Amino acid sequence: MTIRNFNQGQQYRPRMAFLRKIEPLIKEMQDPNTGIKTQTQRLIITTIPHAMTGQDVLEWLIQRLQITDEEGYILGNMIVKLGYIYPLQEPRNLVLKHDNSLYRFQTPYFWPTQEWPAEDTDYAIYLAKKNICKKGLLEEYEKENYNNLNMKINHKWDFIIMQAKEQYRAGKERKKADRFVLDCQERAYWLVHRPAPGTLDVLDYGINRATDPNADKKKTYDYYRREILYYQQALVRSRVKSSVSLGGMMKYCEQYFTHDPIMSGCLPSNPWLTDDTTFWELNTPMADNPTKLRVERWTFSFAELMRDLRGRQNFELFLKKEFSGENLAFWEACEDLKHGEQSKVKEKAEEIYKTFLAQGARRWINIDGRTMEITVKGLQHPHRYVLDAAQTHIYMLMKKDSYPRFLRSPIYKEMQSKALIPEETKPKSNFPFMKRHRRSSPSPVILRQLEQEARAKAAASGPKVVDITQVMSKLDRRNQLKQEPSKQEA
Amino acid sequence: MPIQSSKVADEGTANSARERDECRALVDSLNKVTGCYRHLATGVGGSADCSNLRDELRRTREKSQELAGLLRNKLTAALRDKALSKEERAEMERLWVIFSSNLESFQVDMCKVLELGQGFPLSGTEKPLIQTGMSGGTSEVAARALSVQNLAQDTALNGERLELQELQEHIDKVDEMMENMEMKVNVLRWTVEAKGDAYYSVLSTDASSMALLSEEEEMRRHGRCCDREKCFMSVLFCTVALIAVGLSVCVVNLS
Repeated sequence: MTIRNFNQGQQYRPRMAFLRKIEPLIKEMQDPNTGIKTQTQRLIITTIPHAMTGQDVLEWLIQRLQITDEEGYILGNMIVKLGYIYPLQEPRNLVLKHDNSLYRFQTPYFWPTQEWPAEDTDYAIYLAKKNICKKGLLEEYEKENYNNLNMKINHKWDFIIMQAKEQYRAGKERKKADRFVLDCQERAYWLVHRPAPGTLDVLDYGINRATDPNADKKKTYDYYRREILYYQQALVRSRVKSSVSLGGMMKYCEQYFTHDPIMSGCLPSNPWLTDDTTFWELNTPMADNPTKLRVERWTFSFAELMRDLRGRQNFELFLKKEFSGENLAFWEACEDLKHGEQSKVKEKAEEIYKTFLAQGARRWINIDGRTMEITVKGLQHPHRYVLDAAQTHIYMLMKKDSYPRFLRSPIYKEMQSKALIPEETKPKSNFPFMKRHRRSSPSPVILRQLEQEARAKAAASGPKVVDITQVMSKLDRRNQLKQEPSKQEA
Repeated sequence: MPIQSSKVADEGTANSARERDECRALVDSLNKVTGCYRHLATGVGGSADCSNLRDELRRTREKSQELAGLLRNKLTAALRDKALSKEERAEMERLWVIFSSNLESFQVDMCKVLELGQGFPLSGTEKPLIQTGMSGGTSEVAARALSVQNLAQDTALNGERLELQELQEHIDKVDEMMENMEMKVNVLRWTVEAKGDAYYSVLSTDASSMALLSEEEEMRRHGRCCDREKCFMSVLFCTVALIAVGLSVCVVNLS
């Protein structure tokens, strides 16, 4: 049994009101007086009634709903695509044509409904039936689907084959014309609900919903109580004035406008247009010579600086000069803990404690007593986010204290002067017969190796650590810090 | 003593073999009924819809009700029997999966028929039926489902509302039955392997089942296409014979 009563998670289709709206229209079309005139479809031997021309359908829609030609065409097209009417002469082309091409109504059993989606089991039965009818009739994508279904619902396969055979035999009991119509109907149904790759899936609705839109919600006392609670909480939510948030958005857009390659063009040139990949080479995460725009972005906010690896490296150099490099190292170690492997969480946390937090640690960071208390307590049961409070404290410290100084420091100023403005590439003559030089970008394997080598090198050279415990006491260190910035200010 | 126990054992295996065959036969007939019901359901609301169709649907449904009841009892009893051997259990589980899939498919069809029946009532004249191009009768299909030779038209037509109400009740009953079944017997779906010994997978290279089916088809095609084929073959043969005769005459003349 397919697990139908398993109510955890999302399994309901959303309310597709448009389906319910088309159905009365289709029913109206059937009226012998005011509906659409039908003709008979003539096949080689048999004649089948109830066919209509596309032109008739279109005219009826326009006349009934009093809409323009264009709108009528769009609506008619939608009706055909959804499967309420199917074309007879070109079954795969679900389009309403203005001319004399014939269409027929789909039987209500095969109408698309929201409540009963087309099931995989039924699709498998259909494909099996088609295969039994004539071997080799399945299309490529249908064969693929068939094999996939065979793997997916293998335990039901006996049932599927039995049903397919049974339905095939039952179908043979009817007269030839009816059999033909039945085949057309079923084929049209599956063309809509399991479209061929590349064709539009009209019934695509995104993800399933968690609640059943058709279920009647009983308005009990509990329901109202929950609703009242929800609205009360909504009232006390902190709000930002739209003027403030819009102002923020405007400011962001203005600031980043010149930096956006799509809005302001990029130098040297857009690689997608000119096949010149210099732009990407210049902007790799750990480029030696970052561009001027990139360096300018570091002044926008501290987050921007930290996000850029090159910027972080520059900041690290500056902090080393100021003897507060352990702040950044601690922050990076916390990030590693948060995003690293679960199995290594415990040992990483312990190492961080030993290196940064313990009394007399090698790279002791300066956090206030309260945070230290919380962190030490949390470290008894370490998990990923145990150092969150300390990390936030250090981050704010760096942001408020070191960051402004960094922006005024000679290290940054040197970076700014070194930063290059790439020149625009000369437009290559688009001579059609000229051989284009296309180089493939470096393989990710190689890039990863380079990254690892760089990291190993950095680790090997070792951080220039001032061993505090051996050299000077805490107070002396603080004094030195105070002296340094004043020296730099001067 | 040992002789008696072996006799009992023999009887036991004979019994279980008989049970198994019975279950298989029941599953086959339930499968047939489900297939026919679905076939009939595709006609509801279409141009071939009429009171006969609704009537046939009702009778097919009732037949499936009894079959389902029987099968459920048998299979539940068999699967709750602890003394079942491994192959037997596997076979029973396989039948169980087929049975429950049939039941599910049947239930969905019933729900659809209920809704379509409510949407296209035959009694009123306001809502005409959809012109789907179907015109023939479905009595043969129903006869196949009910395993009778000819279907006697039931002239005593029940009120439509009553029929829909019965349908609703049946749906609820089947719901209950399925829940009950799941509670009583725990069959792990992923351990069941589709055997396919009598029912080969269609895309396999095994051609014997295709031969079986095509043979059946040949037998059915009484006066339809075979006639034409036969005529064609005979005409061809005649022309070949004539040519042969003509050539021989020429040879005789020349020599």
